[in-house]
Amino acid sequence: MSDNDTDDVRTDGSGTGIVSPDDETPAWSERKERTQGLSRLTYEYFERARREDQDLRQQSDYVERDVLAFPAWPHEMMRNIALTSFFVGMILFVSATLPPEMPNPANSSVTPAIILPDWYLYWSFGLLKLGPLNPELSILGGSKLMADRTYGVLANVVVVGFVAIVPFLNKGSARRPVEQPFWAAVGMSGVIFSLTIAALSIKNLVPMDSHLLFDLTFLVPIVSATITYAVLKTMREGYMFDLNRRYYRLRPPK
Amino acid sequence: MSLERKDEHDHKGWMESRELTPIESVYLTVLIWLDRRLRVVDYLEILEDLYYKVNMQMPKSHTEQYNLDNKFWYWYPLYALGSFSTVAYIVAAISGALLGFYYAPAAAAADGSPTVAYDSVMLIMGQLNLGYFLRSVHRWAAQIMVAAVFLHMLRVYFTGAYKEPRELNWLIGIVLISLTLVFGYTGYLLPWSQLSFWAGQIGVEMSLSIPLIGEWVAQLMFGGFTLSQATLQRMYILHVFFLPFITTAIIAVHIGIVWMQGIAEPH
Ligand code: HEM
Repeated sequence: MSDNDTDDVRTDGSGTGIVSPDDETPAWSERKERTQGLSRLTYEYFERARREDQDLRQQSDYVERDVLAFPAWPHEMMRNIALTSFFVGMILFVSATLPPEMPNPANSSVTPAIILPDWYLYWSFGLLKLGPLNPELSILGGSKLMADRTYGVLANVVVVGFVAIVPFLNKGSARRPVEQPFWAAVGMSGVIFSLTIAALSIKNLVPMDSHLLFDLTFLVPIVSATITYAVLKTMREGYMFDLNRRYYRLRPPK
Repeated sequence: MSLERKDEHDHKGWMESRELTPIESVYLTVLIWLDRRLRVVDYLEILEDLYYKVNMQMPKSHTEQYNLDNKFWYWYPLYALGSFSTVAYIVAAISGALLGFYYAPAAAAADGSPTVAYDSVMLIMGQLNLGYFLRSVHRWAAQIMVAAVFLHMLRVYFTGAYKEPRELNWLIGIVLISLTLVFGYTGYLLPWSQLSFWAGQIGVEMSLSIPLIGEWVAQLMFGGFTLSQATLQRMYILHVFFLPFITTAIIAVHIGIVWMQGIAEPH
């Protein structure tokens, strides 16, 4: 500190009065080392994470790059911007060609022949119609544990919940469907089921016996899952051979 | 940076001593003006630091390491579906804001006579210049957004892109798809037509059949156990106030995470 620093110290209106700490104030780590409890644990974990990064940096295959995977900017985004113009044009074109209708005003005393949400909610609507699968418990004297409506809402929760926990059920680094025929089959049956259950929700529009439709709703997904599984399993050997060949050509085994 | 004093903090003299283009000097003048008052340089430094911390340094990725050709998947069109959802969302937001100038969520009777809400939609379609087109754009943008989000989810599933370290983004995605559907549903009720009314009816019944909290949910979302003005008003506020803020924020987080982590590469 030199003297001429002190003579123009004013706290009323000169400069910002905001000065960040100099080198002599305790460093972040010094302050953190003195903390206790949760913040101490946080600090200790952060130090570990830093060390982990440092170790990674020292690995032989380390290259300095911005992100782990393919950069979103500019590669992905430039392509997307080009596609965006096309896409917005498409929305405008479709809107001009196929304008929406306007049904009659709301009338609570006239029930329309068909009550429907927009198409994207058909699957959820279909799940509300699973009443026939609601188990009748013999302990309860053949009555159902919950109302069919409750059962339908529960079915929605179960389906969405299952989709949500997929990343915690299927781990590992495999990405291609051929690497994991089982999970590809699960996905396929899910897609098909979302279509068949949507068809079930509009069963009075589908020209088919409704019992048959009900059975097909569950049968078709299972069949398609089986086919997917079989096909991928058959393809798998050739596919993996190709992948491995490339892999070993580039990194010959020692 | 040295702590020695160079001059009397004569920023003006410093600027004059240099040959600055007009753009540079305007920029510096504004920066210094703000900095004298708010000390923004500290924050700029923090931002810069943050930027480099966020863009983590990591080991070689799989495709780099094994030199797998990444051209094919890079151009793979399905990877644009997430962006398509965003674009459709923006188109819907703009057209929706314009529709909002003319729509009124009022007088929700259900006796078969046109209500204020119904009439305002009719006015948009019949009287307003380009109004019919505007409504059409809004509807189609919404439909296309939902379709794009569904397909985006399938592409994430079938390319295994939800695996570590991207589980969190998958969960955020589940929230986003639900919000998108609720967006569509609340919008569907707004014209207060026959379809709107009966879709609303199903909604109330669904809420009521939730165990324990059913009646509470029906009150909260639909403003009662039968459809009324309160229902329409709630749907309106959800559709034009709550959902836009929440969804926009969550989409920003979702895409921010993709930005930080990069797009998952197929192996
Ligand atoms: C409003 C809806 C959504 C928007 C706007 C959106 C936007 C995006 C964008 C722009 C990307 C970049 C990569 C790409 O475009 O494919 C992305 C990636 C991703 N999204 Fe979404 N998304 C939405 C819904 C969802 C849903 C429903 C899921 C799954 C349940 C999901 C899960 C993911 C995951 C895991 C990634 C990372 C994929 C990768 O790194 O390859 N998103 N999202």
